[in-house]
Amino acid sequence: MSRDDLLTGGHRDAAPPDVDLDRVWLGVAEQVWRRRPGPVERAAGRLLRSPGLARALVTTPSLLLGWVIASAVVLIAGAGFTLSTGQPWVALLAPAVAAAGIAYAYGPGIDPAWELSLSMAVSNRMVLLVRALAVFGLNAALGLAASAASGAAAAVTFGWLVPMTAVCALALAAATVTRSPNAGVAAGSAGWVIAILAGHAADGRYTTAVTDSSLVLPYLAFAAGCCVVVVVATRIPRGTR
Amino acid sequence: MNVELTELTRKFGRTRAVAGVTLEAGPGVFGLLGPNGAGKTSLLRMMATVLPPTSGTMRLLGRDPGAYGPRREIRRRLGYLPQTLGYYPGFTVAEFVEYFALLKDMPPRQVPRAVAAAIEEVGLGDRARAKLRTLSGGMLRRAGIAQAIVNEPELLLLDEPTAGLDPEQRVAFRALLRDFGQRATVMVSTHLVEDVGAACAEVALMDGGRIVFHGTPAELIARGEGSGAAGDAPLERGYSAALAAARSVAAA
Repeated sequence: MSRDDLLTGGHRDAAPPDVDLDRVWLGVAEQVWRRRPGPVERAAGRLLRSPGLARALVTTPSLLLGWVIASAVVLIAGAGFTLSTGQPWVALLAPAVAAAGIAYAYGPGIDPAWELSLSMAVSNRMVLLVRALAVFGLNAALGLAASAASGAAAAVTFGWLVPMTAVCALALAAATVTRSPNAGVAAGSAGWVIAILAGHAADGRYTTAVTDSSLVLPYLAFAAGCCVVVVVATRIPRGTR
Repeated sequence: MNVELTELTRKFGRTRAVAGVTLEAGPGVFGLLGPNGAGKTSLLRMMATVLPPTSGTMRLLGRDPGAYGPRREIRRRLGYLPQTLGYYPGFTVAEFVEYFALLKDMPPRQVPRAVAAAIEEVGLGDRARAKLRTLSGGMLRRAGIAQAIVNEPELLLLDEPTAGLDPEQRVAFRALLRDFGQRATVMVSTHLVEDVGAACAEVALMDGGRIVFHGTPAELIARGEGSGAAGDAPLERGYSAALAAARSVAAA
């Protein structure tokens, strides 16, 4: 059935001659095809003051349900291992899980419409920033819940947040510079493993990387450096005038 | 002029994909012809503000795309169909077009009507609620065109837009191009010279990163007359003759 038939019930003569069926149809189609944003998208739209940015946020690959469930499962397993072995598995796993989520939040190879998104008015940097913050926040919440459930000491429960920031920043920088989420995950994971092993080599404890307060400033400085790399890597050079 | 390019160059390593292109274009349909690797896609990507030039100057819609504010204004008024359309397989056609309408900063109240109009314009009304993964190549191409035109762009850049379209769809698409050309600058990169002949008022032929011919389709046809150049149609012979002439000059 054609759209004119849909509008006139198959009786085209029933439509007055001065009625523009194309216009009527567009009005119908507009209502029928209209998408109703979910509560998260509506809230994000209000918060960010940009429906486009909110839509880009809810399409983040590493915020899709499957990814979130996988992250939660890894951290729940970590909590279980922590309870059974006494080792701080959640603290050691959370930064790596978050780094993977950050690396897979945005970029060529992971965002199918990457090329198109680069030509959009809503800046790709803003999309990257919003998605990275959302992924970080979600992973931090999951990690804290798992950490609290594992009954770890307070220093361990919260100690991994700062290293997680540094590891996430490293993953983001590597993914942005190489334009490869896999490279981001590899860099973030490798960096975190090196930090843990270096701490272990220093005092024989695997938790040093998350409990040594003297590392907080170096972690933050490292994260800031990585953020500078991201800013430089995502800039559009001037000189095109 | 909506497009003003001066000595625009883009290098990838030691390769100059675009080698000093100077071009001006106002409203109308402008065809970019050329063999594979001629630099058409790189030129379009630079005009789409996706790829920064290595050197040269560029003004689009009277603005400087090198600065943040003007670039954002250009992008609000830009429609771009890349050669390879990336898409979200789980999105419906309407969701896909709406997504890019929102990213183009269209006022949210205007978006539903604009999405419906763009989808109807490309003849995908009956598949508006179909998932993109269920569409044929030609339908995906039309969905890509719909997102490009959803904001009624003043500058429309289309890279191989008719790839995958059947003859009937191509005829309809050329009519759409001519319609847009009344009020916008439409740049079409294509291998298909018949698209240029049917829809374009101006044409540029690229080879080796340079523009080797710039004129009307009739002038391109005239290049082929009596030249003995290869081709089944006058425009194809003009294309072959202009290309051969440019290459012989370059070789000399």
